[in-house]
Amino acid sequence: MKIASWRKVRFRFDWTLTMSALLVVALGLLNLWSAVHDRQSHLFTHQISWLALGMLIFVGIATLDYRLISRLSYVFYGVGLALLVGVLAFGKMVGGGRRWFDLGSFHVQPSELMQVLTVLALGKYFNDSPALEGRSWRHLAMPVLIVSFPAMLIAKQPDFGTAFLILAIFFTIMLTARLKLKTLAAIAGMAVIAAFPIYQHLLHEYQRKRVEAFFNPTSEGAYQTRQALNAIGSGRFLGKGFMQGTQIRLRKFPALETDFPFAVWAEEWGFIGCFVVLVAYSFLILWVIKIASEARDRFGATVCVGVAAMLFWHVAINVGMVSGLIPVVGVTLPLISYGGSSLLTTMVALGVVMNVSVRRYSY
Amino acid sequence: MRRRAKAFGLCVLVAFLAIAGRLFYLQVIEGDSFYRLTTDSIVHTDLLPAVRGQIRDRKGRVLATMRPSYNLYVTPRLLTSEAFARLRTILGMNGDEAIDVWERVQGTPVADGAGGASGAGGASGTRDKERPVLLAEDISREAMAAIETGLEIPGVKIVSVPRRSYPNGSVGAHVLGFMNEVSGDELRTKKDEGYRAGDLIGRSGIERQWEGYLRGRTGFQKIVVDRRGLPKPDLKEISDGPTSRAAVPGNHVVLTLDLEAQKIADRALRGVPAGAAVVMDVDTGRVLALVSKPDFDPNELSGHLTPDAEQRLLTDRYRPLRDKTLSETYYPGSTFKAVGALAALEDRLVAPEERVKCHGSFEIGRRHFLCTKTHGSVGLHDAVVQSCNVYFYELGARPGMMDRLAKFGADMGLGAPTGLGLNGEEGGFLPTEEWYREQKRLNPKSEGFQVGQALNAVIGQGSTRVTLMQMATMYAAIANGGKLWLPQIVDHVEAPDGEVVEEFAPRVRRELSVSQESLAFVRDALVGVVNDPKGTAFKARSKEIEVAGKTGTAQIHGRRDAQGGYENATHAWFVGFAPAGRPRIALAVLVEHGGHGGDVAAPIAVEIVNNYFETVEPDQKNAPHTVPLRRRGGEVVSASEDSPRPTARKAEPLGEAPPMHLDFGKPDEPESPPAEEPPR
Repeated sequence: MKIASWRKVRFRFDWTLTMSALLVVALGLLNLWSAVHDRQSHLFTHQISWLALGMLIFVGIATLDYRLISRLSYVFYGVGLALLVGVLAFGKMVGGGRRWFDLGSFHVQPSELMQVLTVLALGKYFNDSPALEGRSWRHLAMPVLIVSFPAMLIAKQPDFGTAFLILAIFFTIMLTARLKLKTLAAIAGMAVIAAFPIYQHLLHEYQRKRVEAFFNPTSEGAYQTRQALNAIGSGRFLGKGFMQGTQIRLRKFPALETDFPFAVWAEEWGFIGCFVVLVAYSFLILWVIKIASEARDRFGATVCVGVAAMLFWHVAINVGMVSGLIPVVGVTLPLISYGGSSLLTTMVALGVVMNVSVRRYSY
Repeated sequence: MRRRAKAFGLCVLVAFLAIAGRLFYLQVIEGDSFYRLTTDSIVHTDLLPAVRGQIRDRKGRVLATMRPSYNLYVTPRLLTSEAFARLRTILGMNGDEAIDVWERVQGTPVADGAGGASGAGGASGTRDKERPVLLAEDISREAMAAIETGLEIPGVKIVSVPRRSYPNGSVGAHVLGFMNEVSGDELRTKKDEGYRAGDLIGRSGIERQWEGYLRGRTGFQKIVVDRRGLPKPDLKEISDGPTSRAAVPGNHVVLTLDLEAQKIADRALRGVPAGAAVVMDVDTGRVLALVSKPDFDPNELSGHLTPDAEQRLLTDRYRPLRDKTLSETYYPGSTFKAVGALAALEDRLVAPEERVKCHGSFEIGRRHFLCTKTHGSVGLHDAVVQSCNVYFYELGARPGMMDRLAKFGADMGLGAPTGLGLNGEEGGFLPTEEWYREQKRLNPKSEGFQVGQALNAVIGQGSTRVTLMQMATMYAAIANGGKLWLPQIVDHVEAPDGEVVEEFAPRVRRELSVSQESLAFVRDALVGVVNDPKGTAFKARSKEIEVAGKTGTAQIHGRRDAQGGYENATHAWFVGFAPAGRPRIALAVLVEHGGHGGDVAAPIAVEIVNNYFETVEPDQKNAPHTVPLRRRGGEVVSASEDSPRPTARKAEPLGEAPPMHLDFGKPDEPESPPAEEPPR
């Protein structure tokens, strides 16, 4: 019986998920080459190595025993928290914040991985929690605790973009769980009230500047936004053509490959190219949501919704920031941004989704 | 779960559609304007500086030109402190300078936005250790040799740039002017003229007034660059319009100035703390020399002026930056008597032979107006030759004399700028009775018009103010028979290839409305001033050249606080022309607070005349007399003029020694009007 099901699993390998993810990866590599080929081509090589490692992890996690993941969720979560505490103590100080472990030739950003680990822990809790219907205040305490620890530790780095992302993922999960609407509205209201003192007291000077730059685009701090807008707008309908972009990649542009690859893409491929990228992401995210809705149990469903939310919020925030809809925050574009932490985290997340997908009809 | 998942999926789609809408707005609706905006910024425009034209004298000798100079650039990332220490020794920097320079090189963030002329294109908010920074300007050839050959210093680059140079140093400084960097305000107001930060602009003199001719037009070359400013030929051309334009060199401005004459006048004023001289061609109105002392070295002002030196120039009591020939006005003193004499002759106030008894002073009511000494019985000729004030007081006391002086003075070019067009020329001032009455209306405490004011005006005191340029022009008109020239400093403008672009012919402002007889009478008297043993400038006369002119010793008012110091001494004037029989040049000399005109200014003028005809125009030295000139004894020297003096003259006995100067400070004597600024 078990062997038969294993055979079935192999046949049920989710090609749609894999191919739609690889499509986005391919577009990202194309873009990265254009951005870095003339002066930092080693970044491209690095990204290829990360990608190879990521695919191994993806397949590895996909073939793991589903129950093993579920059972070890809290352990993973605990390890993640320990890493976050560690990075605050021993992390590399860069630009006024401790966000990375410096491992010699490369840096590791544990806050990225923590997003997935938090999703796993939430999935585990919802799976095990007896109350299936109409979650209310009493049932909220644990999930809020699960989310608060990583969110606060990450905010302390400080990395408000990622902290906000974890909260956004949490809210999305809560929405799809059967939460009472009244409770939801209360949470949203509290979040809005909390936002103001955070802006006033907790944000660093440069972060406030970014927010102000957003509302006043001619100010000095709006340099990145202005250049990004110039780049995107000047791409027009069809774009300037592959490796013909000039606005971003030819000048000094902080965090070009990690935070602003979409601007490079938009300039070279125009509105058509942007539309293709958005369609590719939509397809991937909708597919993950579809897997969630067909999942065998609450754990699988919650985790898939979490991963879909993670992908969605990353894309929405990154593109929104690059196109001047929201202030600049350091949020990456999944599978397209340069960087091992971001790419491997996404691969881990997709590996878990694949695991859920493969086993949705089994047992 | 399934229902909420569907709702989530829908939300994702809606959000992405909104983002797509935003992108559609940016890229399709606003795309063209963004595209236009971006084509410029990545195209780096290399400026090709234009060579500024030369300034030359009338014989083509160079007064201002461009010379090569060497600037030292360093790349901050490569410059070690040891290398900097070596540079410091070579350049001879002191400790403080070195610290400043080091901080500037290592610590200055590169400015955001489109950089200046030296900017390497890419806009950047961060410091760029790769970009060379100017460490020292115009280093000496020795330093350059030491840096280039003897030592291998990494990250050091020497760039040759043209620099404005004035080979004659301070000679003609006020005429030539100087240059320095355009200010931020000028960059805004002169936006259309293409000035950029770091450009030099003419600050005074010809450099300022003829900036448009000298400057030329900056050229440019557009190249597509990457973020370090390196050319990227593999990128498609994305700019509109021409990609390059050659620089057009500036034109040469050729002056009427004669370098030799300028040097002669400059040398003649040696030892004078503050003074000025104008030499003018009487037949054309062309300015041959224009000296103002003390002066400055335009080479120094055009580049290496230290704050200390600048402070010294600005606070110097002798005002070295002020052009005293044009932008300063003085009381003309007795040099103004030529105007009174012409007015008297033209309006037939006196017959030339009519005589006045000079007792050394003139009384009106309780007031005493002093003469320089007791002259005894003097006619108009003697009154000019010996500068008798009493004779002129008699004239001044006639009704309407004040306005008559103003009328004739204005006719002879006083009271308004001569039109040379340089250094913000002043117009001076000629008071009228109406002006004094107006003053009373404005300020009831002032005394209004009194005869005393006319008495002061007729001897060139009171409120009358003139410039040296006006006096030179006026005496040139007396010398040449009544042609009042528009003085001229620029002869022509030449293109770099030598072609004359614009030529300026002499222009007559007007013919004086006085008769040739009156002019001849005055000329005769002016010859007497220098050549008659009783003339006020007799001691200074030249043995070689007959000089004509008038001395002046102008009283100073309004410095009563300075007790008998330098600033209380009189201004010494000499204005005249030479040679007397065939006038070639007119000249005006003033020594500020120099004392007596005949003792101080006349010798300087005579020295200028002697040297001028010695070196500049030796052929004119003994030219035949052509201008009508009456000679004492009724003998007419000129062959063309044939009207003997009506009365033969005898030398009058010399009176006793008088007080040398008028003293207006005594309480029972008329107060001169306070030295208020005359209206312009």
